[in-house]
Amino acid sequence: MKKLLAVVITVGLLMSLCGIALAADKPVVGLVMKSLSNEHFKKMEEGVRKWADADGTFELVPVGMNSETDIDTQISAIENFIARKIDVMVLAPADSAGIAPFVKKAIDAGIVVVNFDNKLETAALTANGLPEDFLYVGPNDEKGAYMVAKYMGEKLGKGAKVILLEGSPGADNARQRQEGFLRAVKECELEVLADQTAHWEIEEANTVMTNLLTRFPGVQGVITAADGMALGAVRAVEAAGLGGKVLISGYDNQDQAKAMIRDGKIVCTIDQFGAENAIEAIKIGFRIKNGEKFSGWTETPGKVITIDDLN
Amino acid sequence: MDTKKIAYLLLNEAGIGIVLFALCLLFSLFVPAFASMNNISNIFTQISINTVIAVGMTFVILLGGIDLSVGSVLALCTILAGLTITKESLPLSAAIVLSVIVSMAAGMACGLFNGWVSERWKIHPFVVTLGMLNIARGAVLQVSNSRTIYSFPKEFNAVGTVSYFGIPLIFVVAVLLVLFGHFILKKTVFGRMIYAIGNNEEAVRLSGHNVKFYKVAAFVICGATVGLAAILYMLRLNIASPILGNGFELSAIAAVVIGGTSMSGGKGSLIGTLLGAAIIGVLNNGLLLVGMGDFARQMVTGIIIVAAVVLDTYRAKVSRMLI
Repeated sequence: MKKLLAVVITVGLLMSLCGIALAADKPVVGLVMKSLSNEHFKKMEEGVRKWADADGTFELVPVGMNSETDIDTQISAIENFIARKIDVMVLAPADSAGIAPFVKKAIDAGIVVVNFDNKLETAALTANGLPEDFLYVGPNDEKGAYMVAKYMGEKLGKGAKVILLEGSPGADNARQRQEGFLRAVKECELEVLADQTAHWEIEEANTVMTNLLTRFPGVQGVITAADGMALGAVRAVEAAGLGGKVLISGYDNQDQAKAMIRDGKIVCTIDQFGAENAIEAIKIGFRIKNGEKFSGWTETPGKVITIDDLN
Repeated sequence: MDTKKIAYLLLNEAGIGIVLFALCLLFSLFVPAFASMNNISNIFTQISINTVIAVGMTFVILLGGIDLSVGSVLALCTILAGLTITKESLPLSAAIVLSVIVSMAAGMACGLFNGWVSERWKIHPFVVTLGMLNIARGAVLQVSNSRTIYSFPKEFNAVGTVSYFGIPLIFVVAVLLVLFGHFILKKTVFGRMIYAIGNNEEAVRLSGHNVKFYKVAAFVICGATVGLAAILYMLRLNIASPILGNGFELSAIAAVVIGGTSMSGGKGSLIGTLLGAAIIGVLNNGLLLVGMGDFARQMVTGIIIVAAVVLDTYRAKVSRMLI
């Protein structure tokens, strides 16, 4: 009896799965993101979903990962999309080199793949038989970081002493942001007291910043690679009684950063418009599907957000 | 007291304290700023949360168990407390009191789950708490919609920076908890039973005691300390976040182990745990002040964890020889 029940249920499940596949006469778009525990991707998902619902001409399947570097889950998601033969896949790679072979697989299976948010590494692309100028639709983190640091440099003036709080070493966007920071710092002739990682974490940024304040009490500015780390730095500076005397910048324009800019606790952050970026990538995906050719870097905008933008 | 006994006491109770003292001495020689009142006060703040979690972890490890879920449960507690405290329909004082209760209750509920499931079906706590790690993380992301809560009442935030003669309030809370836990472990029947079960579970069971009760209770205590740590976290950083606490379980376990508690249970003390947490905090702070790079710092911290435990095995041998 139990066995029979199991068979009935299995068959039922399989049939309903087929039903779903058959019912999907609309084109299917897979949106592969990184961690949905990151506000950046959560907002992206909500934004794209809203747009897709209003559009109504395609079926959107968003997938998120458990963590920023959860490459395994991302690979399984891509393989599932290949098995399902979806039409367009827009992808924010968790690892800009490791995902490349699976991009190739998806393309060979006839799926239009658009890389967005985080650029696939050129060397990894060519090694997997993909063109060197494979299309990337997304922001330029190096440039964004440069813009933020440049704004801070102009605010602080030549020779100002700054501390840089970076993201996790090994993450591409962390490296690109660091490069951008350092370019602006050089140009503005700022003195870098410390260039330290806080692994994107609020608590760690707070601890690192508190300790650095002991070592460098004369710091004038803190440039961070994420809004969360800016928040940690703000608390450290306040606890040291230096609230308002040290200028702090964030990155990504999350809600908490906006609130802190309004309170005058941080000077600026940068918005790279994640949802708009993903929507642009999907639109381009459909244009490729209709025969248009795209390659190279379609740069999406970034904008430094200050108190003037919030009023 | 003869010299043997004094040496025994020094080795057994103060061994880890000597390591801590040596580290502090070394750092203050290299960096004068290390020994400044401000910096010491910073270290106190930085070790408070880990200490509080490690107190609960000590109870669990003394029984030969482990709790991997503390980091995720901490995040869950902050978000639930954060949602409560920012409810505008509640009067301020009620909101604050209620948020503390909610946080503690949530932590204890998770602890009850961990303890009850692992006892009821005789599953190793490693597996059950690994499950809880994911359950709590998923739940907190769901409840918070992966958004950080940051608009706490000013009165609440102000408490976080209170300190008495340079000793931060949250550290006072952590130390009081350590002393209270130490009293329970050393002076009450409940505490002695925990050591007894950790040493020889079968003997305790055969003598007619309810072993299950103590094992579940240890997890509930651990959950309660996590709930308290969540409130301290909110006081310190004035935020509640669904992504905080990654890896906190490892820091707490490290503090317990460096503090001389045996992973197989039955041996250890909360004073040791406090010192263990202090060693981790001093290393983090001191190595940064010396100007050591990120990667080297992580390696040195790892080496010290292993070295402390290796030293501990020698300490045990020497003290056995002395008896």
